[in-house]
Amino acid sequence: MTVKVLILEDNPVARSFLCRVVRESFSDANLITEAGDLETARRHINLTGGARGLHGVDPFKLILVDLELPDGNGMELLAELAQYPATKIVTTLYSDDDHLFPALQCGADGYLLKEDRFEVLVEELQKIVRGQPPLSPAIARRLLTHFRQGVGGDSQAPDSGFMKATGFTSSRPVPIEKQPDHERLTPRETEVLTYLSKGFTIKEIASLMGIKWFTVNDHIKSIYKKLNVSSRAEAAVLASKQGLV
Amino acid sequence: MAERVAHDGGAADSNFDASGFEHSLNPAAPRRWTGWRRSALLAAALLAVLSLLVLARMLAGTAHLDAQWQAAPAGTLTLLSSDQAALNVMAGRTLATIAGIDLEPFEVDALALQRSPRWQVDDLRRRRQMDLQERLSQAFATGRVTLRFTDGSQVLAATPPRGAAGLGLLFWPLAGLALLLALTGVAVLLARPRLVNALYLVMAFCQAGNLLFIGIETLQGLGLPAGLSRHEMLLRLAFDAITAAAAVHAFALHPRRLPSVMPVVTTAWAITALVVALAAAGRLPWLWWWAQGLPLALGVAALLLLGVSHRIEPHPFAALMRRFGVIAAATYALVSVAVATAAERSGVADNVAVIGAVVWYLFFATLLLLVPFLARSRQALREFAMLAGIGTVAASLGLLFVAVFEVGPAASLTLAVFLALGVYAVARQWILNHLVGRSALSTERTFEQFHTTARAVQEQPERHAELLAQLLRELFEPSEVLTLDRGADRARVVGAGSALLVPVRGGDVESTLPPALMLRLARRGQRLFTLEDARLAERVVEQLKRAVAYDRAVERGRNEERLRIAQDLHDDIGARLLTLMYQAQSREMEDYIRNTLKDLKTLTRGLASTDHRLSHAAGEWKADISQRLTVAQVQLNWSFNFDQDQRLSMAQWSALTRVLRELVSNTLQHAMASRVDVNFSLQRQRLSLTVADDGIGRAPDNWAHGLGLGGVRKRVKLLGGEVRWRDNDKAGIVCEVTVAEFGSRR
Repeated sequence: MTVKVLILEDNPVARSFLCRVVRESFSDANLITEAGDLETARRHINLTGGARGLHGVDPFKLILVDLELPDGNGMELLAELAQYPATKIVTTLYSDDDHLFPALQCGADGYLLKEDRFEVLVEELQKIVRGQPPLSPAIARRLLTHFRQGVGGDSQAPDSGFMKATGFTSSRPVPIEKQPDHERLTPRETEVLTYLSKGFTIKEIASLMGIKWFTVNDHIKSIYKKLNVSSRAEAAVLASKQGLV
Repeated sequence: MAERVAHDGGAADSNFDASGFEHSLNPAAPRRWTGWRRSALLAAALLAVLSLLVLARMLAGTAHLDAQWQAAPAGTLTLLSSDQAALNVMAGRTLATIAGIDLEPFEVDALALQRSPRWQVDDLRRRRQMDLQERLSQAFATGRVTLRFTDGSQVLAATPPRGAAGLGLLFWPLAGLALLLALTGVAVLLARPRLVNALYLVMAFCQAGNLLFIGIETLQGLGLPAGLSRHEMLLRLAFDAITAAAAVHAFALHPRRLPSVMPVVTTAWAITALVVALAAAGRLPWLWWWAQGLPLALGVAALLLLGVSHRIEPHPFAALMRRFGVIAAATYALVSVAVATAAERSGVADNVAVIGAVVWYLFFATLLLLVPFLARSRQALREFAMLAGIGTVAASLGLLFVAVFEVGPAASLTLAVFLALGVYAVARQWILNHLVGRSALSTERTFEQFHTTARAVQEQPERHAELLAQLLRELFEPSEVLTLDRGADRARVVGAGSALLVPVRGGDVESTLPPALMLRLARRGQRLFTLEDARLAERVVEQLKRAVAYDRAVERGRNEERLRIAQDLHDDIGARLLTLMYQAQSREMEDYIRNTLKDLKTLTRGLASTDHRLSHAAGEWKADISQRLTVAQVQLNWSFNFDQDQRLSMAQWSALTRVLRELVSNTLQHAMASRVDVNFSLQRQRLSLTVADDGIGRAPDNWAHGLGLGGVRKRVKLLGGEVRWRDNDKAGIVCEVTVAEFGSRR
């Protein structure tokens, strides 16, 4: 069973590099489709049944999206592919949370940093596909702030450099109803995020919390999902407010 | 609470009631002189001018004898010269009697030269003087008089009407002043019909009357309008007494209502009415002393009232009026004493004493004239203060010399003038300070205070409103500063100088500043606000806002530029380095380029964000180093302590990041270690960082530092610290970085 992979990357050297990474990562035979810009990628996706991913037609199983594309932001495609049944991974040169966080909100299942070594990339890719996505300290911090302020949370990270000098967050209306569980972090998840923000490795966190290594990863995956859901929920609320829905 | 004195003509601040400013602070336009007010004023002016002309006509129509006389020490009259030829022949002879046609001759002596019965201390002499003047005017009215001299000769002289030219030079200015005073009174009442202003009108009219009498006194030659002498004393007594009583009443109302004092006011009016009635009936002995004493007593009472009002709440108007009032009262008393003393010695002394008195009345009239305008201009106030100070000093001294030391008139006047000038030169500043109040600040101090405040506002923009209020407080020293809900378009002096309204926000709804500030009672009630103060306040507010805005704009521009540079660097250069990295021929080159790329990212990240917390940075460093060591299968011991989670500046953050990265890279590349210990400690601003490994490196002093370790040296030096490498205990190298004063370098 061939695994269909779509790699969206405008730099041809980087693209071929990523192809090598993918090939090295999976033992299955895989069919790699390369796209150099958004339009091409969209065309390919439509060929497999469109963004909704009608099952039956052979969809992509893995999509690598470069965030720094010339004709638009890769996040647009990510948002379009919200329902698509593939593992969506963003590749980017930026490792700071200002750029990565919105991508994660759009539904990425993980990220790869282009500066990493070949071996590191292979391992990271495998881990993401296995369900063990990475989480840098900066992103962990951002997540903590995001979930702490509830749905429709922050638009500015604490130390991204744009915070007002007064340090007083504008009071937004707090929802009366309790937020549904899938939009709030469990205490364990918050704990994991806190440790991650301090720079601990998964192994260290596992030993500190007294849980298994896999459990930590499960938490991280759950956090990713909640981020995606909560972001989509927020987008839906916004859209309905603006009368678009 | 404080009531206002109305201002006349075009004043923009008559509307504001200093007590209820919050509510009456409507954005209505200031009262303009349109409609009935203007017509009324014009009518009054017309009426006044007409009356003046009628008076002048009447005066011009009086018959007079055109001749120069001299009063001899014995009290007789000597003819000096005359325009009539017939009379001129008789020059040098002493006059005995004058007789009009078909009239009895009557004796004439030096008393005829004295113009005004007002200044005749002795009752008897006054009556004689009045009688004499009456008979003179009767005689002159017949058209021809016979003058008989002591040596027996006699001559017939014509007594034509004066004509306009005969009114003399001094009459018109005095009449003009009287007119001005009367009209000011009318205007003040029209601007705001209130009891206080009505009292002011009464005072103005009375003093205008006095001035007119003085003007009439200046007529030359013998011969005054019939009936004038008879009534003059009474009228002038009435004028003075009424003025004083009105002053008492006015000060009981303004600047502060003193309801408990009403009995005093009623008493004052009652006494005045009584005295005037008695004098009219001719039953009052010692008339002159009453004429001097009653106004003086009432004046002192008025000053006491001012003192009471001032004690209840210090008001600059009250303070100022009190100062001037004390001077006026003191000089009045001095004038009275001088005239009384001079009356002992008849003759020349009289006239000089009278001049002193006239000067006093002029001074008082000017004071009355300026009262409504005190708040308008600091300049006017200052000039008037000088005038008051010097004029009174000169007049008093002159009087003193003449009355007490019996110096000749010319000599005494000259001496007085010189002394007054001397006083002016020496005590000018003192006079100004004490009469007007110390002028705001020297420009230097103002500038300095503004500068300090501007800098403080730039550093802490959230304290803008507070610092502005503080600056205004320092400049004007008000008793209180109030924040208002509504703004105004311009800075205004309200409440006759007792308060200053300063618009602050200026239409900008977003600002955290209040719409306007109200400063009350400058210099803790000692000084009035003037127009200059209003302008200064406006400018101060404006400049402060500009300083803040400018600073903010500069900061914003700087931030935007930094972001742009970071973005450019990252996108462009970063992408190219990445491509290079992919095409690297060897492992070393790939790692080299990778490190370069990471350094670039550190740099751009430092530019893009301004704020790096130590704890956050610690997490990122740990994660990064853990990952790299895990890949290389090297064990990591990580220890990180700090007593204060401070903000790292961009320089500090990027320097530490790169130092750590470089040291770890170095260890990974050369040491072949199995374990790396990283210890970070920041206690009381002292930073200590050690990176130790158990690898093969040895004797670091002998190393030739390549680019990497040289970079570490440079970065540490930038932080203001020191770095050294030494052998680790059993195996490997320890790199120690120490920064003694980490917090100071930003």
